[in-house]
Amino acid sequence: MKALDFGIFALSTLLVLGGGLGTVASKNPIRSAIALLVSILGIAGMFLLLAAEFLAAIQVLVYAGAVVVLFLFVIMLLGPAAQSPADARSAISRYLGAATFLLSATGVLALVLRATKGATTTLATQPAGFGTIEAVGKELFTSSIAPLEFSGALLLVAIVGAIAVARGKQPDPTLAVATPKGEEPEAAPEKAPSRRPTPKEAHS
Amino acid sequence: MNSIPLEYFLLVAALLFVIGAVGFLLRRNLLVLLMSIELMLNATNLTLVAYNRFRPENHAGQIFAFFVIAVAAAEAAVGLAIVLAFFRVRRTIRSDDADLLRN
Amino acid sequence: METLRTLFPASNFALLAVILGLPLLGAFVNGVFGKRLGKEGVRAMALAAIGGAFLFSVVTFLMLPHAAAEGAPAEKLVWNAWRWMSVTGRMGQSIPIDVAFSVDAMSATMMLVVTGIGFLIHLYSVEYMWEDPGFARFFAYLNLFIFAMLVLITGDNLAVLFVGWEGVGMCSYLLIGFWFTDEKNASAGKKAFIVNRIGDFGLILAISMLVYYVGSLTWNGIEANAGALLTPVKIWPIGNLSAETLPGFLAKILIPAKPVQVYASTLVGLALFLGCAGKSAQLPLYVWLPDAMAGPTPVSALIHAATMVTAGVYLVARLSVVFLLSPAAMATVAITGVATALFAASIGFFQTDLKKVLAYSTVSQLGFMFIGVGVGAFAAGFFHVFTHAFFKACLFLGAGSVIHAMHARIHDVNKSQDMRNMGGLGRYMPITRWTFLISCFAIAGFPMSAGFWSKDEILWKAFSNLPLAPPASKTVPMWAWPANLGPAIYWLGILAATMTSFYMFRAYFMTFHGKFRGWEIVKGWKAPASHGHDDHAHDDHHEAEESLEGPTPRESPWKMTLPLVVLATGAAFAGFLMAEPIHIAPLGHLLEPVFEHASKAMTEREGAKGLMWPMMLPGLGAFLAGTGAAMYVYLNRAGEPERAFAASSPRFYKLLVDKWRIDELYDATVVGMVDALADIFTMADKWIVDGILAKLTAGVVALLGTILRAVQTGRVQVYAASMVIGLLGIGWFIVQPHAAATIDDTKLKQNGQVVLAAAPGLGYSYLWEGPGIPPAKDYSPVNQLSVRLDPGEKKDIVLHVRNAFERETTTTIPLARAGAKRMGDPGQNQVPEVRQLPTGPIPGERIQELLKPGGFQ
Repeated sequence: MKALDFGIFALSTLLVLGGGLGTVASKNPIRSAIALLVSILGIAGMFLLLAAEFLAAIQVLVYAGAVVVLFLFVIMLLGPAAQSPADARSAISRYLGAATFLLSATGVLALVLRATKGATTTLATQPAGFGTIEAVGKELFTSSIAPLEFSGALLLVAIVGAIAVARGKQPDPTLAVATPKGEEPEAAPEKAPSRRPTPKEAHS
Repeated sequence: MNSIPLEYFLLVAALLFVIGAVGFLLRRNLLVLLMSIELMLNATNLTLVAYNRFRPENHAGQIFAFFVIAVAAAEAAVGLAIVLAFFRVRRTIRSDDADLLRN
Repeated sequence: METLRTLFPASNFALLAVILGLPLLGAFVNGVFGKRLGKEGVRAMALAAIGGAFLFSVVTFLMLPHAAAEGAPAEKLVWNAWRWMSVTGRMGQSIPIDVAFSVDAMSATMMLVVTGIGFLIHLYSVEYMWEDPGFARFFAYLNLFIFAMLVLITGDNLAVLFVGWEGVGMCSYLLIGFWFTDEKNASAGKKAFIVNRIGDFGLILAISMLVYYVGSLTWNGIEANAGALLTPVKIWPIGNLSAETLPGFLAKILIPAKPVQVYASTLVGLALFLGCAGKSAQLPLYVWLPDAMAGPTPVSALIHAATMVTAGVYLVARLSVVFLLSPAAMATVAITGVATALFAASIGFFQTDLKKVLAYSTVSQLGFMFIGVGVGAFAAGFFHVFTHAFFKACLFLGAGSVIHAMHARIHDVNKSQDMRNMGGLGRYMPITRWTFLISCFAIAGFPMSAGFWSKDEILWKAFSNLPLAPPASKTVPMWAWPANLGPAIYWLGILAATMTSFYMFRAYFMTFHGKFRGWEIVKGWKAPASHGHDDHAHDDHHEAEESLEGPTPRESPWKMTLPLVVLATGAAFAGFLMAEPIHIAPLGHLLEPVFEHASKAMTEREGAKGLMWPMMLPGLGAFLAGTGAAMYVYLNRAGEPERAFAASSPRFYKLLVDKWRIDELYDATVVGMVDALADIFTMADKWIVDGILAKLTAGVVALLGTILRAVQTGRVQVYAASMVIGLLGIGWFIVQPHAAATIDDTKLKQNGQVVLAAAPGLGYSYLWEGPGIPPAKDYSPVNQLSVRLDPGEKKDIVLHVRNAFERETTTTIPLARAGAKRMGDPGQNQVPEVRQLPTGPIPGERIQELLKPGGFQ
């Protein structure tokens, strides 16, 4: 049991950190996205270890199923431009980046280890039903119903906003019907100022 | 199922966060920047869930993580839409090129 | 009638709502839908509203005599609409102020005048204003004015009256500036408004004082509790001003030996009269009325001659109780009245603008009314309001008719009002001429005409009345009315009457007799297309037939002449409603209950008995002298003597023509002062607010912007890096231990106990050190410490803190307790200085001073 847990944990850690490093370090965004997927799956495994079954499922569904796929879609849409030329870095900058990462990682590790003084906290046995869909759902729909509703509204706004932003300025289809072919719809309002001087001239 | 101590999870979360943060600071590709943000959010989620496991009286941490996932999904959608719009204007996704407001 | 009486009982006389509501409805409809209704619709609405109000006023007037029979107190019809508010009196009692209306003989008469003459003037205006683009607006204002005036008249308390008072003021302002596109008219409206505000200040003051002293604002309440006004009030020194609070030399000048005390009734009366003087154009606030002639002529007739300006007289008569309690206030009213009558008449002498002559004559006649109410002849003063409404409205409308005809010819507002361009118009405008003549006879006091009866009654009462001083307290003497004041007013009034008849007939002869001088004016006049025709739009369809000579003046249509005829009839015969000397006085009998108390407070002066008929002779003489002189000068000699006078003493003549230059005086003093103040504020605004404050603010913002612009690189990563740096700062703060403690010393004074609580932090453990604390060996999670202090004791507590990262820090907390008062440290306590007694001989006058505590310092 213990060995199995450690096995799972070790695997998850490998996935998480390896995926994270791959996400950040790879030149090709497709690889980054795949590495992000790996990392997310690792996190899901950790959630399972932490008795958060529901969240693990959500993690896989939402992140792996939706977010990463969205990333991939966008990368496909952008085509070769997705890999910006500036990211074709020299070796020095890559090493510098790695050094920064190593430095900060060491700092964080030292900080955490110092804070815990090397001691470990064994987690007690969780109560029955902890982290199941039933238990989390019950709390979601009772004590945190308001945030749930708000998050629904937020998602709706995000969808509408994303569509509006990504769609950009499109020619109005109704205008396109009204104007004869070959004439730009923007051309119509430009005619008015061109006509304006005529009555003035007639006046004077 | 309780053989892994809490601190291990925290260490992993901290490292993942650092990976995300350094990636965000050093990369110039807008898509990778967004992914780095996702990494950092995941690291936070891991911490939340781990601490919830440490104090399993209720599911506050898990529910918080749930909302973080929801917000992250929204953020990814809007962020990618902005990337697309930006690409349409500037024909690139280099974050340094988003400087129309400067001067 | 019987049905009406059951429908509208005297105590709940809701018919007033109809009378008040009709003009309001008219104003609303004409104001809001006027453009859509069209001129015919506006005309129908306005005439129907005022006509209806007039009809119901007649009904009200007829029902009035029966009111007493129904058990109502006095002859009065009351309609209590709703409770407006409730104020707290000086005794702590609640004083209700209702929106209540009531009608007695005086207000019913006024109602008839307002709605009746108002209707005639509406009819006249329909023709006069027909071509004006602001036709609907004009009638909306006019109807609103009638409504406000009715509120003023029928209000059952001062608060409601004040609403009407301000309402008529507003309408007056709107109508004076009716042709507001002309700068002159707009500023005339402003002048009227501002001068009236000065008067309104007095009225508000009077209302406040009545609430304070009398504790009621209703007419009945004021009448019942007026005795409370016989309270002496200290008016000087004001407030806490006393010899001690002022520097010595000022105290000598300003602080009298005995405080100056007057009766509250005098204060209230004077404040009321300030309000009345503003509204009724008395000295020194008369200046707005002549300028108010900038409005359309029917407005001058209705508002600035017949109704609104008499509101002041009405108010004095209405609150006659207050004035009767103060002979001083009454004398002020009467003297101001006679001074105004003389002063305005003198200005009217040589004015050339027909409307200006009438305006000054109005001011002068208002002076006569104030003489009447000032000498205690309230009924006579009010009766003059009544008759004056007829003949002055008729005069103004006649003038309007003349101007209408002249304007058709001259097309210039100022020139068509100038009498020097008129003359001989009697031939062309017979109806206007004859009605004007009748009204001139009335105002000049031709025997048996309306003005004769009312003016003579006033002057006779001025001569014969002697107001009795009310019973007063012994400490404050009541100012008594001197015996020769009455005759003085009488003779000055006769002089003013003489002048009145002179300048009125001067206007008549200059306008209607002699040869028409307008021909010459028009000689160079060409096509109307280029003329400087302003918004005076009644050019009377002459444009087609103009020649070099221009159109001849012609009589106005019937809508304008009918009101003239009706009003002239009134001017001729209305006097018989209260012809006291021949004992035909139906109106007088009706008014008797209203002024019952007034007749009791008056006594006939010694030596006036039996002089009534003889004292009419000077009045008659005044008429004959004034008229005869005017006839000689302007009819027989065609104005030659006036020119001779102007040539012989040009400066005096100029002074009279320039209205004694009072406007210039006000400009130089009051207006100049305010202007200077405004200039100072403008400078302050320009240099301090705009110059320093605004520029400084803008400069600081610009500087900050320059600094911050450097930080805003526009690169996302730089922003993220700054966030990371901030995060590192916070992390560093967390890593460092911080030793701090809150000190709870609420019990320090009781038992010397102080509780220290160290601030928590990440993995903190604590170690306390100090005197009287058991030494701890190691850090412990105990973060609280209780310390006991003796009085005057001081302790230093040392707190060591260690955090999760094994970092340590130390702080010292000093604690101290104040020493007990008795056993306190003598060095710290303040010992009062021992007073040094003066050595040597003490001057005798200082001993008293030295005995006082702290006297010798």
